[in-house]
Amino acid sequence: MSNIQHPTSNIQHPLAEPRFGQTDWVTGRTLGLVMFAGVLTIIMALVSPNFLTTETFFSQSRYIAFYVMVAMAQAICLAIGDMNLAVGAVGSIATVAFGLLVAPDHAHLSPWLAVGIVFLIGPATGLLHGLIITRLKIDAFIVTLSMMFVYMGLRSGISGGNAYSIPQSFWWLGQGGFGWLPYMVVIVLLILCGVSVLYGRTKLGRWLIATGTNPMATHFSGINTKRMVIIAHALSGCFAVLAAIFWASQSGNAAPQTGDDWLIISFAVAIIGGTGLKGNLISPFGILMGAIIFKLIQHALVILKINDNYSNTLLGGLILLAIVVDRTRERFEKKQ
Amino acid sequence: MTRNNILLLTTLAVLAVVLTGIKIYQNHHTAAAVEPIVLYEPLPHPYCTAVGGGATAYSKDSGTPVRVVVGQESTMANLNQNIESLLTVGHKAFAFIPVDPAGAKGLFTRLKTAGRLTVAYGAQPAEGSETPFAVATDTKAAATLAAEKLCELMGHKGKILNVLESLTDANTPIRKAAIESVVAKYPDVEIIQTVGDVTTEQKAREKIESALVARGDEVDGVICTGYTTTVAAATLLADHNRQAGAKHIRFVGLDNDERVLAAIRAGDVDMTLAQNPFGHGYISCALLDLMLQGWKPKVDYQFVDAGCFPVTKENVDTYQAGIEAMTKTIVGELKTKYLEPPQK
Repeated sequence: MSNIQHPTSNIQHPLAEPRFGQTDWVTGRTLGLVMFAGVLTIIMALVSPNFLTTETFFSQSRYIAFYVMVAMAQAICLAIGDMNLAVGAVGSIATVAFGLLVAPDHAHLSPWLAVGIVFLIGPATGLLHGLIITRLKIDAFIVTLSMMFVYMGLRSGISGGNAYSIPQSFWWLGQGGFGWLPYMVVIVLLILCGVSVLYGRTKLGRWLIATGTNPMATHFSGINTKRMVIIAHALSGCFAVLAAIFWASQSGNAAPQTGDDWLIISFAVAIIGGTGLKGNLISPFGILMGAIIFKLIQHALVILKINDNYSNTLLGGLILLAIVVDRTRERFEKKQ
Repeated sequence: MTRNNILLLTTLAVLAVVLTGIKIYQNHHTAAAVEPIVLYEPLPHPYCTAVGGGATAYSKDSGTPVRVVVGQESTMANLNQNIESLLTVGHKAFAFIPVDPAGAKGLFTRLKTAGRLTVAYGAQPAEGSETPFAVATDTKAAATLAAEKLCELMGHKGKILNVLESLTDANTPIRKAAIESVVAKYPDVEIIQTVGDVTTEQKAREKIESALVARGDEVDGVICTGYTTTVAAATLLADHNRQAGAKHIRFVGLDNDERVLAAIRAGDVDMTLAQNPFGHGYISCALLDLMLQGWKPKVDYQFVDAGCFPVTKENVDTYQAGIEAMTKTIVGELKTKYLEPPQK
């Protein structure tokens, strides 16, 4: 699950070049993230006697799985050189739709049927974003920013601010597990493997990365880059909806506020995880490590009793530090 | 094998060995005690700070350690992740605001399953939530009282601007319905406009100012049932009412920010309903402490009304004593009214 990067990209990583007949499991950048996460884990274990418990693992790994989904929704768009500011708003509208479909005092459909219907919102919104971006030639930033307000207004108008109850029969997805291993984690790991295969082993994946690397060159190579933009936004919508379904099950309700804080999470985790802000670089395993680091930092702020009023400052500082250390290490390795 | 793969395997092996070593060491040494009670505030905010003050005062009065934790934002997601982090530390009892009452249902279940005690403060949880107590202002009663007071100030005649807070706050529809049902009682009173979807003071100011400008002299009274709207409206109306020859617009708000109290003290605006945030914190911690000592709730769920207090020019400097007396009365009743003694 190494970083997936287009061959024409000028960001070549020395450690990423495999020797003949050998394959790197992770790139140097992801390895750096593994080491950083390892150091954080050791510090947490030393500071908190309750850290190395199955209860902590079960509790915190579900958030990591959730963060991965939110970050994937952003990373897919970043990898083609776009961004999706409507990640949280799509999650929000999907949550309201899910609530309307399953709540006993509304449609009261089977949760499985509702999941199937709600899942369509992801590709549908992505398709809409993609079509506006490519056909009307409007920047993704403007399109997704505008659509974010559209969806947020819709969710408030439709729900009136009220949360919908999710039947307890659907809580298992977000709250259950194989012993200490949450179902959410298993599903997300499988999805990450799928994304790795998509970007590493399929033509579509390579075209997506190529679009993010140099859209003009890719276009003249005969690849329909407009279609790639639409596909990326549709996939992004799918991940946002999946995150919304996970969260509804984990929290036991469909609250219209869902998604309000996803934008920062999506960028923070994707960037810590090594996703290129200007396209061409995406690492599913890196995003997993990014989510672990993000969660460990948040957990540390609570456990270490850091002055709560400054916790956002520290969180931002630590995220920046993680990225600076990673980029410094990268430059150091290039010089060697 | 490539260099990266060797480094990865080495890192994972070292991590496994170190963590195993730490775990073995910790299993043979007693961990330091953690505070049994956590009072969680969703974000730095004057209301939350006052709640935390109540929790700290309870800890000082009773000798039971209470940890006051402040979150980063008032969202269910932030509340969930912070409480779950605290759960892993080993705290035994939690008091928190169900920022989204329905959304907190899952969290209450999770905490109960993990053997922790909970009390909701500041808002009532959704029906069926697995928490035995809510300590809060009765939202409907407070909004009803505010609307009644405003109608009274207007002489039961005139037009009201109703300013609501966030539309995604579950208390907003309750407040709106309560105000509308009071206004419906008086044929000469009408709600001329309702503005809402306000989450910040700046947004509140913009919306109220727009409505007042658009309506000219039509507005006779303004009612606000949220903190940000109350502060924005009180400062705006104070400026308006101070102008020579301006029509005096009546005002009833909710919450006792210092700027609102100053405007009341100066006679520029009429009234606010002071909630009892100190009591929310103090009573919640008292309930959790008693339950940790073995006291049992009399029934599955009970609402403890921490009360609200009308603040006018006459009592603006003395109302705090009334609130503290109210808190002491409620705490004194906990063992008889809400709890049963431990079984021997």
